[in-house]
Amino acid sequence: MSATSTPAIRSAIGAFKPEAFAAHLASLPPLPSWWIERKRAAYERFAGLPLPARTDEAWRFSNLSGVALEGFAPAASGPSAPAISMGIKKSARLTFANGALISRETLDPALEKQGVIIDSLRNALTRHGDLVREHLLAQPARLGSAKFTALHEAFLSDGAFIHVPKGIQIELPVGIFSHALGDGIAVFPHTLVVAGENARVSVVEYFGSGGDEENQLAIGANDLYAGHGAQVTYVGKQDWSHRALALQSNSTVVRRDARVQSLNLHLGGRQVRHESLSQLQAPGAFSEMLSLSVAHGEQEFDQRTLQIHQAPDTKSDLLYKNALLDRARTIFSGLIVVDPDAQRTDAYQSNRNLMLSEDAEANSLPGLEIQANDVRCTHGATTSRIDPEQEFYLQSRGIAKAQADELLTFGFFEEVLNRLASDELHAALRALIQTKFKR
Amino acid sequence: MASLVIKDLHASIGDKPIVKGLSLTINSGEVHAIMGPNGTGKSTLAKVIAGHPDYTVTGGDVLLDGKSVLEQEADERARAGLFLAFQYPSEIPGVSIANFLRAAVQARMAEGEEIDAAAYYKRLYARMDMLKIDRKFTSRSVNEGFSGGEKKRCEILQMAILEPKFALMDETDSGLDIDALRIVSEGVNTLRGPGLGVLMITHYQRLLNYIVPDFVHVLYDGRIVKSGDKSLALELEAKGYDWVKRELAAANA
Amino acid sequence: MQPPSETLSSAADETVMENPTVGIDQTKGDFQYKVDYAFDAGTGLSEDTVRYISSVKKEAPWILEFRLNALKKFLSMPMPTHWATKDLDNIDFAKIRYYLSQGQKPKRTWDEVPDDIKKTFERLGIPEQERKFLAGVEAQFDSEAAYSNIKDIVAKQGVIFVNSTEGLREHPELFRKWFGKVIPTGDNKFSALNSAVFSGGSFIYVPKGVKVAQPLQAYFRINAENFGQFERTLIIADEGAEVTYMEGCTAPKFSTSTLHSAVVELVALKGAKIQYITVQNWANNVFNLVTKRGVAHEEAEIKWIDCNIGSRLTMKYPGVVLKGERARGEVISIALANDGQHQDTGAKMVHAANNTTSNIVAKSISVGQGRSTYRGVVHIPKHLKGCKNNTECDALLINTNSRTDTYPAITVRGDRNYVQHEASVSKVNEEMIFYMQQRGLTEGQAMSLAVNGFINDLARQFPMEYSVELKRLIDLEMEGSVG
Repeated sequence: MSATSTPAIRSAIGAFKPEAFAAHLASLPPLPSWWIERKRAAYERFAGLPLPARTDEAWRFSNLSGVALEGFAPAASGPSAPAISMGIKKSARLTFANGALISRETLDPALEKQGVIIDSLRNALTRHGDLVREHLLAQPARLGSAKFTALHEAFLSDGAFIHVPKGIQIELPVGIFSHALGDGIAVFPHTLVVAGENARVSVVEYFGSGGDEENQLAIGANDLYAGHGAQVTYVGKQDWSHRALALQSNSTVVRRDARVQSLNLHLGGRQVRHESLSQLQAPGAFSEMLSLSVAHGEQEFDQRTLQIHQAPDTKSDLLYKNALLDRARTIFSGLIVVDPDAQRTDAYQSNRNLMLSEDAEANSLPGLEIQANDVRCTHGATTSRIDPEQEFYLQSRGIAKAQADELLTFGFFEEVLNRLASDELHAALRALIQTKFKR
Repeated sequence: MASLVIKDLHASIGDKPIVKGLSLTINSGEVHAIMGPNGTGKSTLAKVIAGHPDYTVTGGDVLLDGKSVLEQEADERARAGLFLAFQYPSEIPGVSIANFLRAAVQARMAEGEEIDAAAYYKRLYARMDMLKIDRKFTSRSVNEGFSGGEKKRCEILQMAILEPKFALMDETDSGLDIDALRIVSEGVNTLRGPGLGVLMITHYQRLLNYIVPDFVHVLYDGRIVKSGDKSLALELEAKGYDWVKRELAAANA
Repeated sequence: MQPPSETLSSAADETVMENPTVGIDQTKGDFQYKVDYAFDAGTGLSEDTVRYISSVKKEAPWILEFRLNALKKFLSMPMPTHWATKDLDNIDFAKIRYYLSQGQKPKRTWDEVPDDIKKTFERLGIPEQERKFLAGVEAQFDSEAAYSNIKDIVAKQGVIFVNSTEGLREHPELFRKWFGKVIPTGDNKFSALNSAVFSGGSFIYVPKGVKVAQPLQAYFRINAENFGQFERTLIIADEGAEVTYMEGCTAPKFSTSTLHSAVVELVALKGAKIQYITVQNWANNVFNLVTKRGVAHEEAEIKWIDCNIGSRLTMKYPGVVLKGERARGEVISIALANDGQHQDTGAKMVHAANNTTSNIVAKSISVGQGRSTYRGVVHIPKHLKGCKNNTECDALLINTNSRTDTYPAITVRGDRNYVQHEASVSKVNEEMIFYMQQRGLTEGQAMSLAVNGFINDLARQFPMEYSVELKRLIDLEMEGSVG
């Protein structure tokens, strides 16, 4: 970084000095030593890596000066969490506030008998150490946030652990609430989902702050693992405070004939970077990656995706849609990678930006790296305003312009929402988007 | 009785004049047909009356029940009772027909007044049955992936639900096979009555066999150059538009 | 500096290969005649190299100063390997010869051109093409144009078509006004290098309202081993003027690498039209790192047609800055990457005025171990309205070892513009190949037909002579690579 472009010198570790890390370790209950060792190694990695620089292709177009780690403190303990309704029926619910488990409810008593585990990561570390060790943060950080993923691992206090054993299918989604409460706090939410052979599970996660003026740092990560023939659905609803900096890394591993659908909705935050890695590791694997964001004010939503086809006969389908208002910025940078022996890959990637203001800015970097020849890979990106002919058509039916635009904007989202199998979830997400428009 | 009066209307797109001094009065209960060769301004006329932003009115007026509509936005005109059945209806992904029509009906109600959902659906389904539109269509996105005939039937369905005072039907017969044409025409004929005035824009006489007009006008170079009753349409069919052009040339000579 | 260098000995067999009948090149240009160089800047790059070039060209002091500043810039800039291929690190700037010529003044008739050089261009078919369909020809041999001529009828209209050395000397006001304005010295490391050591290239000025009916052509030939060719081309089409410029490039195949690093600047003033066509068929040892950009003023149109068949590594992203309202920019790009080749090509469209439109169509074919990369930039910065871009990238993969990458970057601000990008990757249709083989074609012929079919819609936009040539080049590449 040149000194002229950023007068305030940001340190590479910010508030996360060795003393802070030591205090964090001291606050933990007895946990397996391998985990503590990994945390120590992660802290070293974090401290050794520089902040992203102008020349980092993985951070092209990002507002780098907004990525600062100063002035935050890891949240000490969780106060009580606000009651938020997801508007959907659930099989179980985990609630976290400032990284601590506040409540755990199993709403479907059959789950425990079936061997389903829905618990905190802390409990899982001691009770199901092998499973956790195999899957927790086990995938490489390939999208630019290695430093922040290391910070997440070092300061990860607690998170959600869901394991659905072989052949078990949970009909209703598991709800996870992650709250960040208070000004100046840093949270490190984590969700680990392991679906065994032919298991089926759906997880809906909500991220929110105590108030819209709270300056916060949220460095989260998810690991989704879909074993042979498993079906995993993950929906993330991000509604952090409008002063929050959020950096999220999601990793998905899809095994033979398994299917993962993920949808991330972005509403809140000041600057939000979301990295999604999907690895299609065996034939028949399918990953569907969806995202919707409504960016307003000065918000920046920066989404980086990677679809890696590592085996033949795998499929991935990505659809990211952004609606931009005011002076908002979005970045979509997606890459499809097809390894040399991943023949008959079918990969799709699409980014659609709807411009609702003359000051908004949309950046689109849809990429392909193809090393097998028998493939079908396509991508597309469009950036446009509301179609004036559609607007006129609606107006010619007596609908006022503002309402016509709202109908068309929601119509724009429908293509993504329609991919959800659950009508209830579909309606709940739409309602959540509506609240943002009404604000 | 309602009236739609077009007075010496001039309109252009960019710098190019298209409608050049057109006058016409339509009273409710009447069906007028406007015929003319391609490129004479037929579709433009319909869009100008409906308030399409691409066109600029450079002279004259359009009065609905004696009140000029030219200062009104397209949606205000629609709520005042004008309906345009598009030649090429827009496809609107993600907006279902049910939601769309509901928003359109709601827009016509006073503030605070809520739509009676049961009554609305009852009426909607009745109209759909009349137009032989599958009820499943209500959950489909407006016009998206529809065939030409489906799009035109959907236009008539909207007209049936929104009950305008005046309908401007732009080349409603284009792209329809004979069966679809019959269904669409029956729909229009059912809606025909003392409360509705119709302006049909068409290139071919064929449609007029199904929807018999009270008046026929010939549009040429942005103006009405000949008016008559339905026999004029037959004469045009027999003699072709060149006949009008020749007559016009002779008159101007 | 050094005295005239030793002659290059070559094993090229002059008697075996016949002169090509027509076209740019039928033998991939892989032959070499012995040439004596009167001027040689020696090996390696320093301030002295730059001073030598400037002095033999008898340049004005501002040009030397411009060159020296550029050299500093070049030395200070890093290799762009944080996004580009690491193969760039294999260029050894200390081993390259930066200037070789027999003289600075091109000949006006082929009879005056020294025999050894004339033979080269005759073999490449240039004099014949000139007679047939060109308004003017410039033939550059290593650092300088050996031949440059424009038909009288065109010259009488006030059209200037000379090499850059002459342009600087004879039209300094015109040249200096636009030189380095479209592509600043520090645009990238290789534009800085070119700015330091440039030699040759074309200078064209088409006066107001003049429409040049036949194309002007330049031919760039690298003859010497370890050589760097750095031509600099500047084309100005004044208000309402129209011109088509075509360039062809070849070099013999050496065991060591050769560098070609040109800078091409186009200026299309109000209502002007420039069409720039490249058919690049460098030998597989050439690093081809070229910066090409045009500025289109109000209602002007710039169209780049860019065909990359040869070279070891090509990095080239022709661009248009749409500076005036209703300006139009277009890039049509075809790249064929065979074994040992990396075609890293694309386009750059910068919208800077309302109602400007740009169009990019890029098709690449990867054969054998070949690698093709598309990089694109579309930029619609602020408060503009009515801007449109449409981009289509299609890649065809022939063998399992070939590779293709696509990296577009699109930035749009505001709600009154429309941008669309579509890309696809597919492999050659095996059923189709089998069908053709069943009818008696060899696999190579069938592949060649399939590849030509893939690019057919683009090739049809070329002048006839060039599309025929392109097809022939593809045939040659495909026949050698399969079956």
